[in-house]
Formats: sequence, structure tokens, C-alpha cells
Amino acid sequence: MITDDLQDQAALYVLGSLSADETAAFEDSLRNDADLRALVCDLREAAGDLGRSVPAKRPPAELKRRVLREIALEKQARSPRSRTAAANWLPWAIAAAFIALCAILVVDRTRLQRELAAARKTDSPSMLVTLASPNGEHPDAKVTVAWQPDRQSGTITIANMPPPGPGRDYQLWAIDANHKDPISAGIIHIDPNGVARIRFKPDQAVAQIKAFAISIEREGGTTKPEGPIVMIGNA
Amino acid sequence: MATSQDAADREMLAQAAGGDQAAFAKLYDRLSGPLYSLAVRMLSDANEAQDAVQEVFVQIWRRAAKYDPTQSSVFSWAMLMTRSRIIDRLRARGRRLRVVASSTDDTNDAAAAADASVAESAADTADRNEEAMRVRTVLDKLPAEQRQAIDLAFFSELTHHQIADQLGQPLGTIKARIRRGLLKLREQIT
Repeated sequence: MITDDLQDQAALYVLGSLSADETAAFEDSLRNDADLRALVCDLREAAGDLGRSVPAKRPPAELKRRVLREIALEKQARSPRSRTAAANWLPWAIAAAFIALCAILVVDRTRLQRELAAARKTDSPSMLVTLASPNGEHPDAKVTVAWQPDRQSGTITIANMPPPGPGRDYQLWAIDANHKDPISAGIIHIDPNGVARIRFKPDQAVAQIKAFAISIEREGGTTKPEGPIVMIGNA
Repeated sequence: MATSQDAADREMLAQAAGGDQAAFAKLYDRLSGPLYSLAVRMLSDANEAQDAVQEVFVQIWRRAAKYDPTQSSVFSWAMLMTRSRIIDRLRARGRRLRVVASSTDDTNDAAAAADASVAESAADTADRNEEAMRVRTVLDKLPAEQRQAIDLAFFSELTHHQIADQLGQPLGTIKARIRRGLLKLREQIT
């Protein structure tokens, strides 16, 4: 017999609404109660059903290409062969990775420039902003923003960035001459290789962009920058 | 209740966990539509929905080996993962979702308008739209206060405390409505 209170908690647990302490306590109960585990399963399926209730949309084909490209890179990075041979081949692997990174950056920069040129041709003026550390940290990091003012959106490309640290996220900011405070342009999740390519749209309209910056914020981000600026570039 | 589709999903995920990219691509074909539809609905931004779905599929690839079939179907596992990632994004951006009182009004909302260019053809989406209609029909039969509570609890980033505040109801009442609504939905669908 599961009490109403425990059933309520089960629903909130499935929706991720319990606090960390409540979650830990509930998971203790779960371990010892098969009926409760069955209830949680049912509630998870109910949540899945709710997700089915939204009108059907088809993702663009490009999204599949993006996902599969990223998966291929992940697979390559994790391949057992590269791990077991790492000790012997580490110097070569580092050299190869460096060459590959250079190639990727050259290709990426070429692509961004091509996109920029294409955007210009279609009367959609864009700008390319390179960000760098204000105090010389992360000298190997490469961060580029392609910004399209008329679309109020852009793409940030990152390579070789270290992780932001536990409980922290990188957050992108647009610094607008007409706004007192920087405008949040979203959280930047980098992959284990320090790479990201993310389309973003600032929370508010940007009339006169002065710079883009990345700060380290608490996990989930903030509405105003509170943490240190680790990368910045003038438009 | 396990279906043949659940079994097929588990098989594809198990193969993906072993590094099979072709199986993962098939799983993408199977799940991307529903996950993307949820992301568009909750984020009201097709571009951001694409970024969120991309992150989720990378997460699925990384966690495939940890999936536990005794806890949920692959579909619900992926759906809840997507919802969680979307809520992170909504909270990070400090936005508040505009909650549409009736889910049947969705075709008129901004997300639908913004995403009109990628709406599926009738032939491609017939099954999923039929399924969505079936779930919405069940939802419509729930008591209004339960429907409202689970709608807010699932499709917005509001916590149950915030939902109670917003609806001017005691916290215990809101918790019970969410739980009863979810269980009734499950009971009616299975």
C-alpha cells in the first residue's frame, strides 16, 4: 500500500521537481519498495504519453546530419583502439589531433567566411567576431561568433575550451551599446573535446552590438553576468 | 505495457550502446519527430528546439549503455530527457512559457507559425497526429483542474510550488492533482 503522500512524491520525482534532499530520500524508499518502483514506471510512461500529445513537427534534415556528425566524432574519440594504443602513440596522437584541429579550424573558418559572404549577397549583413581571453588564459581556445543583426541570431564555434568546472556553465553574452546590462545569449555546452557549435538568439533585441563575451556562471546560467569573463571580442 | 515498438527501440538502443551508428540513425528517425515536436512546443523557437534536440541525441548516445529497461520505455526515457534539457534552457534564459490554456489551440500559436516551413506532410505525420489526437482526447476527459495541473507541471518550467502560487491553491492540492491526472492518463491510454 503506497500512501498518497508517497504517490505525490513519485509524480514529482518523475517530473524532476523534487529537491536534491527529497530525491535522495525518495530513492531510498524506491530501493526497498517494488510497488513504488512499478508506480514510478507507470508515471514515467504517463509523462511519455503527455509528450505524444503535442502537434507533430518534422525536424529539418540538416539536424540529422548535425547529430550524426557529432556522434561520429564522439565515437572516434572513444574508440578502444585509440585508448589502448594511447601510451605508445600519445605523441603522434597529439600531433595528429593538432593537425586535425588546425584543419577543422581552417575548414570552419572558411565555411563561416563563406556563410558570411553568402549572407552579404542576400542583403543579410553579418559580422564575424573572434573572442580571446582578456587575461591570457586558455591560449589554445578558438572562439568565433558569426552574428546576423537582421536575424537577431548567430552561431558560436568553439574549439579547445577546457570544461567550466563542476556546477558551472559557460554563458554567452551580447553587449549592446543601448543596454545597460549584457544580454544573455544562452548557455554554451562544450563536449568532452572542448568543442561546440551552437546557434543562439539573445534574450532581448540587440540594436547596436559592441562585443560578445563568455563568462563562467553557476549551472543553468543567470540573467546578469555574475562570474568571471573568460572570453571577449569586440564587434 | 511493452509493445513491439518498445522492443524495437530497445534493440536499436542496445546496438547504439555497442557503437552501431546505423542503429543510432534508425533510432534518431524513430524518436526525432516526437522529441523535436515537444521542443518546439515548449521553447516556441524552431532554431533553439533543434539545438536542444541535438544535445539530447548526443546524451542518448553517451548514456545508451546505462539505459535500464525495467524503469521505462526508451520512448519515455528519451522524452523525459528532452523535457529536462528544455527546462534547463527555459530556466537559463529566464523565460516564462506562455501556457496555452487548451492544447487544441496549438495550431494557432507562435511556435506553429514559426515552424510552418518544417511541418510534416499529412502522409508522413498521419500516425503521429492520430496518436497525438488520441492522447489529447483522453486529456480532455480529465477533470479540468487535473488537466491544468499536469499541463503546467509538464510543459512549463514552473515548480509545483510556483504552480500552487499561480493557481492560488494549496501545495498539497496541486501535488495530488498532478499525480491523479498522470495516473488517470496512463490508465486511460493503456
